[in-house]
Amino acid sequence: MSDLVTDHDRYPTLTEAGRRMLEFMREHPAAPVYRNQSGNRLTAADIEALRIFEREVLEAAVGWSRGCMPSWATAFVARTFEDVPFYRALGSPPPRFEDLPTVSRADFAADIARFVPDSIALDRLINFRTTGTSGHPMLIASHPMVAGRYLAFHKRALRRFGVDLTHGGGQVGVVLLGHQRKCFTYVSVTPTMDESGLAKINLHPNDWRDPDDRARYLDALAPEVYGGDPISFAELLNLPITARPRALISVSMMLSPGLRRRLEERFGCPVLDVYSLNEAGPVAVFDPAVGGHVLLQPMLYVEILDKAGHPVNVGERGEITLTGGFNFCLPLLRYRTGDYASLSFSPEAPVLTGLSGRPPVRFRTESEEWINNIDVTHALGQFPIPQFGLHQRADGTVILRLSETALPLLDAARAALKPLFGAQTIDVEVIAVEDKINQYTSDLESSQP
Amino acid sequence: MERQGPILEKLTRRLAETPPDFLDEPRIGTTGRVFVPALVNDLLSLYGARAPAAALMRFHGADAKIDRNRLALAMITVWLLADEWFVSVKIPQADALRVLDETVTELAAATAAHKFVNDTDRREELARVVLARLNYRPARETIAQATDRLSSLSSTERRRLLEASRAAERRARAIREALAKKAAEESADKWTRE
Repeated sequence: MSDLVTDHDRYPTLTEAGRRMLEFMREHPAAPVYRNQSGNRLTAADIEALRIFEREVLEAAVGWSRGCMPSWATAFVARTFEDVPFYRALGSPPPRFEDLPTVSRADFAADIARFVPDSIALDRLINFRTTGTSGHPMLIASHPMVAGRYLAFHKRALRRFGVDLTHGGGQVGVVLLGHQRKCFTYVSVTPTMDESGLAKINLHPNDWRDPDDRARYLDALAPEVYGGDPISFAELLNLPITARPRALISVSMMLSPGLRRRLEERFGCPVLDVYSLNEAGPVAVFDPAVGGHVLLQPMLYVEILDKAGHPVNVGERGEITLTGGFNFCLPLLRYRTGDYASLSFSPEAPVLTGLSGRPPVRFRTESEEWINNIDVTHALGQFPIPQFGLHQRADGTVILRLSETALPLLDAARAALKPLFGAQTIDVEVIAVEDKINQYTSDLESSQP
Repeated sequence: MERQGPILEKLTRRLAETPPDFLDEPRIGTTGRVFVPALVNDLLSLYGARAPAAALMRFHGADAKIDRNRLALAMITVWLLADEWFVSVKIPQADALRVLDETVTELAAATAAHKFVNDTDRREELARVVLARLNYRPARETIAQATDRLSSLSSTERRRLLEASRAAERRARAIREALAKKAAEESADKWTRE
């Protein structure tokens, strides 16, 4: 891979129609300043393989029988122990899956190279950077095919809500929204969707000649899907857009039921809350009908582990731990995600219930009782707040952290917390626009159950 | 290797027939089932005396990423050393502990423990190395033959391992360089960005 990147590298199969789509998105009079360049990097052979992969993902059953391992797991473990330096150094695969040591972000952050299989050619390696809130910045080894595979899981998730994507040539498939001071922005096309347009934009006014251009531009693009997070979607609500997408896909952060409702009402389409990680891609989609996140990947085994690394009983909360996945550059073996949920089994697929991005935190009430952070989630979840956090100081007083756009809801939010915290002081802090915060924290001893 | 030991094939056959209990998972922290210090102590009892607790400290695992393969090979070597021939010659405790610690650490550094059970050459290597470190050679072999065969087995393996280790370093460096390139940094399209 030379260090000089050309448009041919970015769009190896670009047709004249695709080139016109790129031009349309880049050169529209209301277009934002595009600060970066990227592309699909897919060859004709990749595109064919992706179409097959997509069909398989849409048709496959997801899950495993309760108490049993998926049938592919043993061979996957053996192959990973042969092919991946980190696991080869551990010796022979253990006879029992539960005896496999777990790994975490810290292991990946220390040296991702040890987790890349020997069989992977390096000439098309790409990376995804992730900072997260755990203090372990990571570089994830990936491949254009892996990035391309995301769409198969989005389609599976969308189909659950009755949406089959139709936008193709001459139309925009997806606009990925950010709302940050600094954001990677670019345009591309999706070859498996007949070169429908893909634009990754930043709604922050800094990226626009005129902030009013945002609505004009998005209406001109009229994408079939918007991708984003609760912060960028909250900003989208402020724009006078008239074009209607067929779905919104929210990733990266918890989406409150209140904000989801507002978005659904405003755009008249399903709003999908997808649990997705750079390390594993889209893992599950929230379905209100089953009350949790339904797993999406046929080749991903999910365990829920306690602090010591032992599986908890079905229905108990613990750390979401992943094996398998579709990133062949980074096969996962008992990867502890740092996220928490319990696992239940619906007839269709396993379901993650009570998903939260960090270990559970208990808060002390005025009457010296302990309440779980889920109670706070429920109390504030009714409001269309893009992001909030709660911190309890050592003296029991509480700081409610809210995104600036949610400040008009402050009194209502305080009132919702009153039944939990009584007369305890509730101070307020504003979350800076680009901050991703640890949602629940406490200075009190015994706050970790 | 001054003393005559048992017939080599007897030891390699014993390794090939290692019972599943000795291939089970060594206990490290709260995972695994086999408590290796107890296994070592049982062997030493067979030799005549239990070991002081301090001597067994090395067989407590703390971190699976560092200790797992070493302890797995220690279990296999305990099985080998529990052969009636070793018991009958009453191996000195200090010698047995040295083999289970230093020799096993050395061999486990680059070879998966269960290969010393499943692979013909590695079975022979483990049997010969253990005998040699206890100052024995296989029955019916001269010192020269035994030295020659051990050195041939070990040096071929060492060369292979050294080359593998150099290749692994080269590979890791190449991955880091590939990930740092502009093209890798530019990444590729995903329909959502976490």
